[in-house]
Amino acid sequence: MSFEQYVVETLKTVVFPGFVFIFFLSLFYEWFDRKFYARLQNRVGPLYTGFYGLLQPLADFIKLLSKEDIVPKKVDQLLFTMTPLFTLALSIFATLLLPISSNQGVVSFNGDVIVSILILTFICITVFYAGLSTYNRYAVIGAERLFLQMIGYEIPLTLSVVGVALNAQSLLLSDIVLSQERWWYILGPQALGFIVFVFAAQAELERIPFDLPEAEQEIIAGWNIDYSGRRLAMFRLARNIELVFLCGLAATFFLGGPLGPTIEGYTPILYTLYFVIKSLFVLAVLTVVRALFARLRIDQVESFCWKYLLPLALFQFVLVRLIL
Amino acid sequence: MGLVSWARSKSPWIAHFCTGSCNACDIEILACLTPRYDIERFGAVLKGSIRHADILLVTGPVTRQVRDRLLRIYEQMPEPKYVVAVGTCATSSGVYRGAYNVYPGVDSVIPVTAYISGCPVKPENIINGLSFLLKKIGESK
Repeated sequence: MSFEQYVVETLKTVVFPGFVFIFFLSLFYEWFDRKFYARLQNRVGPLYTGFYGLLQPLADFIKLLSKEDIVPKKVDQLLFTMTPLFTLALSIFATLLLPISSNQGVVSFNGDVIVSILILTFICITVFYAGLSTYNRYAVIGAERLFLQMIGYEIPLTLSVVGVALNAQSLLLSDIVLSQERWWYILGPQALGFIVFVFAAQAELERIPFDLPEAEQEIIAGWNIDYSGRRLAMFRLARNIELVFLCGLAATFFLGGPLGPTIEGYTPILYTLYFVIKSLFVLAVLTVVRALFARLRIDQVESFCWKYLLPLALFQFVLVRLIL
Repeated sequence: MGLVSWARSKSPWIAHFCTGSCNACDIEILACLTPRYDIERFGAVLKGSIRHADILLVTGPVTRQVRDRLLRIYEQMPEPKYVVAVGTCATSSGVYRGAYNVYPGVDSVIPVTAYISGCPVKPENIINGLSFLLKKIGESK
């Protein structure tokens, strides 16, 4: 690899569409989520921090970084200090798989569809350990709920993606994107898969109606109850990046990823724009779901996932098979 | 105003602690979070866990029973932390002043940054007190 190539690859990973871009994009998505959620509730949401509160997530992040970082005496020191880092690292790595500025992510290899779903599971496991390591009874309850919930939504999530991968005849994200050049999958039988994916993503991100692991009214803050300062900032950032990742993944699988009409020479910029618009659409759907529903009980989550989401995903799978 | 104090003054996360009030002040605090007053405009979010919070809103007279709990909650907060006494009972223990089981205000137990008067306080008054506190946080180094 020549020196220039080396520099370009490094810039791709670190600046665009890598870490720095994803960092600001995730803060923007959190702002969009909060603002849209507030508007749906007839509130105004963040307003005075920057233009229409645009800098609110950044202010939250900096404030949390500058706060005291308490490590309670009786926690598992190693897990307590390592899990925020692992969660952040995993979610940042996951976003490198996303095709943002071209039809290919920064990291692209055969089977990255499977890896992207695997990473979601890994994030779930690290968060589980984060809750468990504090030995706080609320945190342990939250972590247990997280795992129970994962048993529910993980299989429908995977099956909803199988329909797409089957149609594209590939396990490569870039192939899936290219196969949607004429026809987005959301317009076919995979629309059912999109619905399943949206609900599963909601559960993965622990948002209402699946926010049992951090249900504020029942178990205070769930698994992250004892985290403060820097570690909490890392968890929040990891959550936001995961939000970007899941919205981007939904856009990639069902909405044609970054593809769209382009002008010669401006392709990466336009692709990024299309990607952001499409994933913002997914985020808007997620936010509407968040504003629309109330929290479910854990048994209701399980029965919802196994009785409705899983058959729906299987039905989609069968439909795709029939059409092929 | 440095970057950190800017961030602190723009993102006050609130925890709410009731030391035995009649719940009128608590309802008014909740009214602040609802569409009409919506203190999320200032970035304020009500947090469940005390470890996530920057500002402790204390309502009600501090009784002997609750004093230890209040101290413990206060000590669990990460620095920098601010306490706001909401309502007449919290600022001076109100009509209970002089009773055998009541301390004369929150500031006799933990340091208080801002006092908000009223029985019960008006949401406008809470917003006024909050903006005063945020101004103070923004000016501090």
